[in-house]
Amino acid sequence: MPDLRVAVDAGGTFTDVCIYNSSTQEFRVTKVPSTPNNPMQAVLDGVKRGEIELADVDLFFHGTTVATNALITRRFPKASMVTTKGFRDVIEIRDGTKDNLWDAYADVSGPYIRRRDRFEVTERVDYAGEIVTPLDEQEARELARKLKRRGTTTIAVCFINSYANVQNEQRMREILEEEIPGANVSTSSGILPEIFEHDRFNTAVANTVLGPLVSDYVKQLDDELSAGGYANDLLLLHSGGGSMTPVMAKHYPVRLAASGIAAGAIAAKHIAEQCGYQNAVGLDMGGTSTDISLIHDGELRVTKQWGVEYGHPIVFPSIEVLTIGAGGGSLAHIDIAGALRNGPQSAGADPGPACYKRGGAEPTNTDANLALNRLGTSLAGGALELNRDMATAAIKEKIGQPLALETADAAQAILKVANANMADAVRLVSIRRGLDPRDFALIAFGGAGALHGAEVAKELGIPAVIVPPNPGVTSAMGCLLVDIQHDLSMMYTAGAESADTDDLTKQFRSLEEEAADRLRHEGVADKDVVLQRGISMRYQGQWRSLQVPMSSGEQSLKMAIETFHQEHERQFSFRQDTQPVEIYQLHLRAVGKTPKPSFTPYERVANATAEPHARRDVFFDGQWHDTPIYDRTILPPGFELTGPAIIDQLDSTTVVPPNTTASIDEWKNIRIRIVLTGEEA
Amino acid sequence: MKMAHDMKDGVLDPVTFEVLKNAFATSVDLMSEQILRTCYSFVIYSRDFSSALCDAKGNTVMQGSGDIAVHVGTLHFQCKAVLEEFEGDIQQGDVFAINDPYRGGTHLNDVSFIRPIFVADEIIGFAQNKGHWADIGGNVPGSFDVNASTHFSEGLRITPIRVWREGTFLHDVAQLLVSNTRAPSQALGDLHAQAEATAVCEREILRLVDKYSKETVVAAMQETQDYVERIVLKSLAGMPQGEWETIDYMDADPALGEGMVPIRIKLKLDGNGIHYDLSGSAPAVSTFLNSAYGTTHSAIYAGTKTFFPDVPLNSGFYRAVTANIGEEGSVVNAGWPHAVTGFCSGPYEKIMNGIFELWSGIMPERAMACAFNLEYLLIGGNDGRTDTTTYFMWYDWMAGGWGGRQTKDGSSATSPVFGTGLAVQPVEGQERLNPVLTMCHEISMDSGGPGRFRGGCGVQKGGVLTKVDKTVMSYCCDRGRSVTWGVNGGLPSVPHGVWLNKGTSDEKYLGATFSNVSVQSGDTFTRPSAGGGGFGDPLERLPEEVLEDVIDGYVSVPRAECDYGVIIDVNDPDVDDYAIDAERTTKAREWIRAHRHEWLEAPPEDIASQYRDGKLDVLDVIRRFGVVLDWGTGELLKKSTQQYRESMRRRSSDYWA
Repeated sequence: MPDLRVAVDAGGTFTDVCIYNSSTQEFRVTKVPSTPNNPMQAVLDGVKRGEIELADVDLFFHGTTVATNALITRRFPKASMVTTKGFRDVIEIRDGTKDNLWDAYADVSGPYIRRRDRFEVTERVDYAGEIVTPLDEQEARELARKLKRRGTTTIAVCFINSYANVQNEQRMREILEEEIPGANVSTSSGILPEIFEHDRFNTAVANTVLGPLVSDYVKQLDDELSAGGYANDLLLLHSGGGSMTPVMAKHYPVRLAASGIAAGAIAAKHIAEQCGYQNAVGLDMGGTSTDISLIHDGELRVTKQWGVEYGHPIVFPSIEVLTIGAGGGSLAHIDIAGALRNGPQSAGADPGPACYKRGGAEPTNTDANLALNRLGTSLAGGALELNRDMATAAIKEKIGQPLALETADAAQAILKVANANMADAVRLVSIRRGLDPRDFALIAFGGAGALHGAEVAKELGIPAVIVPPNPGVTSAMGCLLVDIQHDLSMMYTAGAESADTDDLTKQFRSLEEEAADRLRHEGVADKDVVLQRGISMRYQGQWRSLQVPMSSGEQSLKMAIETFHQEHERQFSFRQDTQPVEIYQLHLRAVGKTPKPSFTPYERVANATAEPHARRDVFFDGQWHDTPIYDRTILPPGFELTGPAIIDQLDSTTVVPPNTTASIDEWKNIRIRIVLTGEEA
Repeated sequence: MKMAHDMKDGVLDPVTFEVLKNAFATSVDLMSEQILRTCYSFVIYSRDFSSALCDAKGNTVMQGSGDIAVHVGTLHFQCKAVLEEFEGDIQQGDVFAINDPYRGGTHLNDVSFIRPIFVADEIIGFAQNKGHWADIGGNVPGSFDVNASTHFSEGLRITPIRVWREGTFLHDVAQLLVSNTRAPSQALGDLHAQAEATAVCEREILRLVDKYSKETVVAAMQETQDYVERIVLKSLAGMPQGEWETIDYMDADPALGEGMVPIRIKLKLDGNGIHYDLSGSAPAVSTFLNSAYGTTHSAIYAGTKTFFPDVPLNSGFYRAVTANIGEEGSVVNAGWPHAVTGFCSGPYEKIMNGIFELWSGIMPERAMACAFNLEYLLIGGNDGRTDTTTYFMWYDWMAGGWGGRQTKDGSSATSPVFGTGLAVQPVEGQERLNPVLTMCHEISMDSGGPGRFRGGCGVQKGGVLTKVDKTVMSYCCDRGRSVTWGVNGGLPSVPHGVWLNKGTSDEKYLGATFSNVSVQSGDTFTRPSAGGGGFGDPLERLPEEVLEDVIDGYVSVPRAECDYGVIIDVNDPDVDDYAIDAERTTKAREWIRAHRHEWLEAPPEDIASQYRDGKLDVLDVIRRFGVVLDWGTGELLKKSTQQYRESMRRRSSDYWA
C-alpha cells in the first residue's frame, strides 16, 4: 500500500521537497537547485535526493513556475487571436494605466500576442446578447485559411459581449477547426464567461498561449512519474489554492501561474489554525522579496484582481498575496540627500550580499544580520560559508562612516529601517480589508522570516510570533494541504428581490453538473465531492460587486442578500438597506477532497531542558549581549527560554530578542511572545 | 510619553528620520486605501483623488504615492486657506471642506476634507484628502459645462467651511452641500468616506507621537520637507545653469476668432532651485479652458516631478521649485470669476508638455516629445431602450500616445499625463449602461508622430447611438490645431477632434471642444486620441524598425514612404512577407531631405486648396507642410498656421541637417 505523500515546490532558485509518510506520520524535507532550462529535471532530482520510491507514493503534488516564467519571458509557441472587427487592440490598449505613475521611461510590458497575430472578423453581439451583426461566414473562412497558411494552430477567439451570447464565438471556432485540422482553438466565453472585454480576453489569451507548453510539460512529467511507478494522477497546485490533474491543467493552464505564492499562504493558514489563531499575517521573507498574506476568520482572502505582470489581468480566483521588494538581499544605501534607505533594489543571488564574497560591495540585510552575530557564518549545514569581515567592512564603509555610526549601530540601523518598511506594508494590506493587524498572530517563514519576525511583530504591536518547524520549505508543505478545486462562474443579472429563484437554481445546477463532470474526469469519487455556491451582488448603480456564499434551500437567496449587506458594511464600512440589490454573477467552487496529513501533537516534556551548543555576543538595542545558540532539532516540545537567544537549523535562523520569551509547542513550532511597549510600564 | 531621545541638537538620528519619513508616507497611503474601500463615487474609485499630511502651518509633509498628477501641489494651498479662515478657531474633532479654485483648488468637482491633528491643545498637523465628486451641480450633469464663462454655471463653490464641530456632525451644513448636487446620497456617502479617512491618518500620526514623542514627530515633519528640497538641490548640482524658454498653444479663444492662444514658459536654473516664469501667457479665454493658480502650480510641479520620478512630493519640493505665474486674469492665473473646470484639457496639458520639452534638453536621458491631450466626450439624454424615461450619461475618456524618447519609441495607448492611474472604461460595461454601441476601439494606424523614435500610437473610438431621445453631445479637449508636436527633428502626430456621421452625406467635423450638439438615434460618431510626437529625425529611423511597424500595422506602407522615406514591397501580406527596397529607400530619403525645408514654406492657401480637392490628407498637411486648417471645411487658419510653422521650425526643421 503506497503511503507516501510528496510535494515538490519548484521555485526560482530552489526546488523544495516535502515527504509525508501517512503510516508513520513522519515528515521529511529536502532541497535541490532549480533547473530553469529544463524545469522537470529539478523535480526528478528532488525525488532522487529525497530517496523516494515512486511506487510508494500515494499522492504527488507539484507547484511549478513553468507557466509564470513563460508569461514573463513571453517564451511560448506562436499563437493568434481572432476578434470582433474594431477590437483588435483590446489586450494592447488595456485600461491604459501605468504601474509606475511618474517615471515616463518605465512602460507597462507588451501584450501576450503581438498585433500582427491578432485578426478581426465581421460580427457583433450587443449587451443583451442580441446578434446585431451575424458572423460573416465567408470572411471567417478566408481568415481561417490565412491562419493555416501562417502555420498557426493555437488560436483564441475573443468576441465583444460573448459572455451574453456565445453563438458567434462558437461558430468561429467550428470554422477554424474545420479549416485547420488539429488546431487548438479556445473561446473567451468558454474559458471565462464574464463581462469586461479586457479581463476576459486577456485571461483567455494567457490561457491559450500557455496551452501547448504547459500540456507538454505536464504530460512529460506525468509520464516520467508513471514510468517510475506512481499510479495516481499528478496533482498540480493552482493559484486559487487548490490543485488539478493533468487533464484539467491542459484546459486551464493559466491557473498554474503564481502557484508557489498560494502554497506559502495555505501553509500559513494551516499553521495559524493549528496554533488556535483565527487571524494571522503570513510573512514569507526570501532573498529578494517578501510575500505577505492575511488570514481572517480562518480564511485566506481570494481575489480576482491579479496577474503575473501589471496590466495583464488573469481573472480566475487567486489567493491574495502582496509581494514587496524587501528580502535578505535588499540593499541598504545612503541617498543623495543623506537618508538611510533600504531596498527595493536587491543584490540578488549574484553577486549577492557582501558576505557571499562574490564581489558584492553594498551591504544587505543579510550582511547586517551577520555583522550583529544574529546570523552564524555557516549556513545550510556548512553548504554556504558567510564572510563576516566582508559584511562588516561593507557596512562600515557605506553606512557607518557616512552617518558617523559605529559599525554595529549602523547594522542595527539597517535592520530597523527594513523591519519598519515591512511593518508599513502589513499595515497597508490590512487596512485595505478594514482589519487591524494588532489582533493577529505573525507567522514568520521563508529563509529570512524568522530572523526578522520578532522585530516586525513588535513594530506592528503584534504580541505573538510563530515560526513553523521548517521555515525554509513551508511553501512545499502547503502543497500537501490542498484539495482538487475548480472555480466556475457565470454572468447572471437580475434584481435580487425579484429574481426568479427557480431559474437561479437551474443555473446553479448546470454549473454543478459541469463541475461534477470535471471532477469525475479527474477520478474523484462522488463521496469526496463538495460543491459550494457563491453569488456576487452589488447595490444598483455600483461598479464594485461582492461575492458571498449561498446555500441551496428555499430561503437561500434571502439569506444571501442579508449576508451581502453585512459583508458590505464590514468591508466597505457602509450598508444601504433601502437601495435595490442586483445579482451580478454566480459562482461555484467544486472541491474534490484529497486525504490530508494527519498531524499528531508531540507530548510536551515536563520541565523540558536543552543546552545551547554555543554562545556568542549578539547585538541588540545598542549593545552586545552574551547569547546562547541552540540547535533547533534538539529542542523538546514544552521547552521555554527567555531572550536573547538564537535558534539555528538547517534552513533558517530564529532570532529571539531580549525581553521576549520563546517556547516550543506540541507541533514543534517556536512561539515567540513579544512584550509590547504598553505592557512594559 | 517618551522624551525626544532620538534628537541631538535638534537633528534627528538617521534611523528615526527614515522610519518616520516612511511612516508619514504610509499614514497618507492608509488614508487613500480607506477612501478606495469606502467611497461611493465611481470617479473616486477610478483613482481621481489624492491625500496629504500637512504640518501645523499647512505645508505638505507627504503626498500619497498613488495620487493623480493633477492634484499634486494644490493640497497645501487648500490647507492654508482653511487656516487663514479659521486660525484661532480650530478645535479637536473639527473637519473642514473646501473646493474653491480661487483658493488653490483644482475644479469644483474636487472637494477636499481637512482635519486638524491635535496633541493636547496644540495643532501639529492636518490630514487632508481631495476626491472628485461625480457631480457638483451647475448647468450640466457631471458639472463639465464647456460653455461656462464664469463659475456660476459650473456648480457649487465651497469656500472653507466647517462640516464637523468638535466631533459633532453638522448635518445642516452637509445637507446644504449635497443638496446642490444631482446625486445627494452618493455625495453624502463620499463626504463621510473622505472625512473618516482623515481620521485614519490622524490615528497613525498620534500613534507615532506616542511612540516617538511630539517633538520628534514635529521635527521629522520639517526634516522630511528639508530632505526633499535637499534632494532636488543636490540633483541640480551636476546640471547646467542658465535660462531656457518655450511656447505652447491652446487652439483658440472663440471670442477672439482664429489664432492659437500662447502659453509661455521660462525656466531658470541658478543653483538655488528651479524657477519658472509663465508671466508672458495670454489673457484668460472666454471658455472654461482656464487655469487658476492652484492647477497652474500643479502642472508645474507634476511636469517637473516627471524628471525627478523618485522624489517624494511635499512642500520641500515646492520650495525648490518656484514660479512667477504673472498677474491675475491670464489663462494660467484666471482668478474669480473665470470658469476653470476645463483647465485639465487646456493650460494644464500645455504647461506639462512645455516643461517636458525644456527638461528634455537638460536631462536628455529622460527626454520626451509631446503627449496626446486629455479628452472627455459626454453624451447625455434619455435612454430609449426602456419604456420608462431613464437619463443616461455616457462619460468617456481615452488613452492615447505619449511622445517619442531619447532611446525608444513613445508609449502607445496610455492614460493621459494628467493622471496615469486613470483607467479607461470597459466597452462592455458602458454598453450595459448606455444606448451607445461602440463600433471600434482600436489603435489607429499612422497616429504616432514620425521620428527616429516614433511617438506612441493613439486610439480611435467610434460608436452609434442606438435608441436615444433629447440627447446632446459635448466634448472637452484641445490640440485640434495646436497639434501634438515632435522634438529634436521629430514630426507632429494627428489633430484631435470629433466627427459626426463620418463618410456619409451628413458628415460633420465638430472640432476639439464643443458643447450641446443635438444627436439622434442612428447617428454615428468617431474621434481619435492623438499619438505622441516624434523624437529625432524620421529619416534616421532604421528601415528595419519601419518594416516592423508596417508588419504590425502601426504604420501604413504609403506613410512609411512619405514620413520615413522607406519603401516597402508588399510580397505576401497574409504571411507578413514584406521587404525593404534599399535602393529606392535611399533615393526617397534623399528626395525628402532635399525638399522638406521648402515644404514648410509652401503657400498655405495652396495646401488648403489641395486638401479641399482631396489631393492631400490631414497627415500630409500637418506633418509635411505645417499648415493648420479647419479639418471639416478645409478653410485655412492663417494665423494658427503661422504660429504652428514657427514652432515646427524650432522643434523640427532646425534639427534637420
